[in-house]
Amino acid sequence: MDQGIHIEGLSKRYGEGDTAVDALKDVNMSIAPGEVVGLVGPSGSGKTTLLKCLGAVIEPTKGRMTLGGEVIYDSAQDGWKTKDLRALRRDRIGFIFQAPYLIPFLDVTDNVALLPMLAGKANGASRARALELLQALDVAHRAKAQPSQLSGGEQQRVSIARALANQPPVILADEPTAPLDSERALAVMRILNQMASQYQTAIIVVTHDEKIIPIFKRIYHIRDGRTVEEAGEGREIS
Amino acid sequence: MISLAGRDILHSWGKFVLTGFGLGLLIGATLTMAGVYRGMVDDARALLNNSGADIWVVQKDTQGPYAESSSIKDDAYRGVLGLPGVAQAASVTYLTMQVRQGNTDSRTMVVGFESGQPGEPPYLVAGRRLIRGHFEAIADVKTGFRLGERILIRRHGYEVVGLTRRMVSSGGDPMVFIPLKDAQEAQFLKDDDAIIADRARTAANPALNRPGVPGLLDAVTAAQTINHSVNAVLVRVGADSNAATVAQDIRRWKHLQAYTREQMEEILIEKLVATSAKQIGMFLAILTIVSAAIVAFIIYTMTLGKIREIAVLKLIGTRNRTIAGMILQQALGLGLIGFVIGKISATLWAPAFPKYVLLETADAVRALVIIMVVCALASTLAIRTALKVDPATAIGG
Repeated sequence: MDQGIHIEGLSKRYGEGDTAVDALKDVNMSIAPGEVVGLVGPSGSGKTTLLKCLGAVIEPTKGRMTLGGEVIYDSAQDGWKTKDLRALRRDRIGFIFQAPYLIPFLDVTDNVALLPMLAGKANGASRARALELLQALDVAHRAKAQPSQLSGGEQQRVSIARALANQPPVILADEPTAPLDSERALAVMRILNQMASQYQTAIIVVTHDEKIIPIFKRIYHIRDGRTVEEAGEGREIS
Repeated sequence: MISLAGRDILHSWGKFVLTGFGLGLLIGATLTMAGVYRGMVDDARALLNNSGADIWVVQKDTQGPYAESSSIKDDAYRGVLGLPGVAQAASVTYLTMQVRQGNTDSRTMVVGFESGQPGEPPYLVAGRRLIRGHFEAIADVKTGFRLGERILIRRHGYEVVGLTRRMVSSGGDPMVFIPLKDAQEAQFLKDDDAIIADRARTAANPALNRPGVPGLLDAVTAAQTINHSVNAVLVRVGADSNAATVAQDIRRWKHLQAYTREQMEEILIEKLVATSAKQIGMFLAILTIVSAAIVAFIIYTMTLGKIREIAVLKLIGTRNRTIAGMILQQALGLGLIGFVIGKISATLWAPAFPKYVLLETADAVRALVIIMVVCALASTLAIRTALKVDPATAIGG
């Protein structure tokens, strides 16, 4: 499996000596392009730490990460392969948050187009890309609206479009359905599945939302910093 | 790349405009303070220009007639007229006092002058020049007096026959011009009771009221009531003459002090206005510091309100310089809004000030540059805070 995201022996320790805490212990994961997997675990199990390591926000203590066929981190070879983690996040990792966290002073199009613009693409091309994604996510009719004028579901769809804007090989979704009711949560999951398939993006969904857990075909359970892979029900969303 | 700062300002323009309005009023007050100083300097220059003199001849060892009191005899001008290079010389008096009109009074500088001589107001905006030798006046429009009105100076009534403009003392008081003889009398004119008391006191003095010397008492009484002093002699030099040389001659031969235009301007601006200028300078410094503190506080508060958005922006790959630029541009935008409102406010309320407020374009440009620099410096605290925001805070709460 060359593409997608692969994690081998990833560990993260906070602090030193007697106060040291091992938040992640030899975590192994492998997600193929177009695949949506669940990362499930109780509070304090290490989900957020794992997401921060995968998102190049904090540095792991040990291990190896490969993204889209390229090693991005290897503790045996000086850690991060690039010094510009900001560019790595911008170009190769998409983020979806629990709340949409759209930029309130940008309209819907520019919220999505901001990422390609930050990557140096022309304004016109960035906006065209944004409109294409908004079309795919069925929110193109709100392209000129401000985030505050959108419903919760529409805001989450815009945040998904933003995550896809730079065509990253992986999207990290941090409890994206937590604030939504069942119907909307399932709608978001349907969209994530469609987008993963359409754009061949690997998507990791951190959740403890019982409503959506049966949808995943594969689930990683995380407890005390260790992950266990398990086959999911892969239930179809009606 | 879109302007994040511009979008944020447009998005919350109400907040920006209201904040800018408050800041603008402060900037308006600052511009007005600068205008008050400029007005004082301009008043001083107007005083010198309007006197029409090249040289001011005053009492020896004084810096009169504006900065210090000066008293010289009213025939001194004759001796000055005889000096080479002098084209015109005339006595003038200056007396700051309350001039009454009806039930109200105005603080004015009463100027005694001789018609057709230096010291006469150079132009009128209404009415005519003085024709009669007594009890006519020309007033600056700022006094509020109207043509034909009667005003009271000491005990005598004067008819306003002419109006002039921008004739003010160095303190900004509007001028009232009356004939020299009247002004000389007005300077030392006492009330009836005081005159009677003085006459009785003189008559009671056996040295001044000798039975064998008829007319002595009358002569002494007349000498006590007639004023032969003036405050200065204004000199106009000939076309081919040098004012500095003529002033030197006056000092040497007439034992009087003589100042050229440049020297008098130095006395007025660097000495008379200096303390006020320092006072205003202190106010300007304090207002600048207050403005900076307000901008810093506002921008800092606005930045704190966007911490989550900044964390998201950093997480999705926005460069630090883009975020710093956004905050800096907002601070500059706020300063610009404040400046525009401040400039408009100062322009609107300046004419309502009792003294002349001169708003110079160069001062406005200087103020704009200072405001921009102050805003840029004030934004550093907010920028530091924004750059310290950990992008990880966007994940997992």
